[in-house]
Amino acid sequence: MSIDEIDLNAYVDGELSHDQEAEVLEAMRDNPELAQQICQLGQLKAQMRIAYANPPQPDRGSMRRVGRSWRAVAAGGAMLSVGLLAGWIMNGNQPGTAEHNRFVVLDPEGRGQAPAVAADDETRILFHLTNADPMVAGELLDEVETMLQAYEADGRPLRVEVVSHSDGLELLRQSLTVHESRIQELAGDYDNLTFVACKNTINRLRVDHGIEVQLVPDAEVTDSGVSHVVRRQQQGWSYIRV
Amino acid sequence: MKTMMQFALAGLIGLMTWAGVATAADSGYTKQKVVYHINGDNPKQQAGALRNIQNHINAVGADNLDLRVVMHGNGVSLVLLPDALAQVPKFKNANANEQMTARIDGLKNQGVAFKICANTLKGRKVNKEEHLYDVDQADIVPSGVAELAHLQSQGFTYIKP
Repeated sequence: MSIDEIDLNAYVDGELSHDQEAEVLEAMRDNPELAQQICQLGQLKAQMRIAYANPPQPDRGSMRRVGRSWRAVAAGGAMLSVGLLAGWIMNGNQPGTAEHNRFVVLDPEGRGQAPAVAADDETRILFHLTNADPMVAGELLDEVETMLQAYEADGRPLRVEVVSHSDGLELLRQSLTVHESRIQELAGDYDNLTFVACKNTINRLRVDHGIEVQLVPDAEVTDSGVSHVVRRQQQGWSYIRV
Repeated sequence: MKTMMQFALAGLIGLMTWAGVATAADSGYTKQKVVYHINGDNPKQQAGALRNIQNHINAVGADNLDLRVVMHGNGVSLVLLPDALAQVPKFKNANANEQMTARIDGLKNQGVAFKICANTLKGRKVNKEEHLYDVDQADIVPSGVAELAHLQSQGFTYIKP
């Protein structure tokens, strides 16, 4: 996502979802200016909290003063933690920490273990196939291959997922696909390409039609094609409906 | 303490003003960036897509919209002139008849940009001057798919009618 001022404010207020928060953290790590901006925003908000928690009024005793200084300490603590966080981010965090795991979302079956929220110059595209027409699937494979070639030739990072779902599952069914060798070739040549099959569709075929689906060897499986598509878009992937 | 409060108050007022400006719009919608994807050659579906776009503009307001249409593959048939069909055998349909081009002109007048995939033109041996309706160099993008990905990374919402 492009991070705007609303996102920054929501981040400082702790109102972002985990995924969104991870994206802001990711962006801060690559962009010291952004980290600085968030740090300043955090300070401003902490100051505002102090100001509004303590409207000037006659001193009414020591209890009040204790409360006030407690709030000041809390606000100071908030400022400090924002500063620490920014410093931690600007110094580059260590991989393997608990925090770091939030950036890594594994593909189903562990393939493609690169971070799903990737370096900002990587193009990530998900093609969603729901059509059984082998012509359409063939054109899709052509398109994907052209793209993989072009990006590789230019040295630009790219990740592609083809999610087959509903009637689109035929592309990855061993008994029905006309593209098995093509899929094998592409998956072998490009480790940044993943074919993903929807488990809901597979289960539905078993329950409703008594069909035991055999997938081509290069297909990965995800629980729900739709959830996968949604998750990827939340992670900043571009979506293209075939 | 007093200066700190003044500073905080100024900041708060600034935030509120900024929030007010950001949400102000006649239609009740904030600015939208949207890309429509067309890759099929069914003329009814294409006409439906153009109708969707007009309705979208009516709802949100042309001033609030940065709307692009990206065509590739069979979708280029939207701007393919019927007379040119015989010269480009890889297309089954050429849908840029009088009715369709009138719709396209209407949308262009409201700021809609129509983008066409260079890979498709090259692969299907299409000459933009001879075969297409009102397409100039600025309307050509190197790859339709890459353009869709790029626009989404720039905050455009993707719609496939």
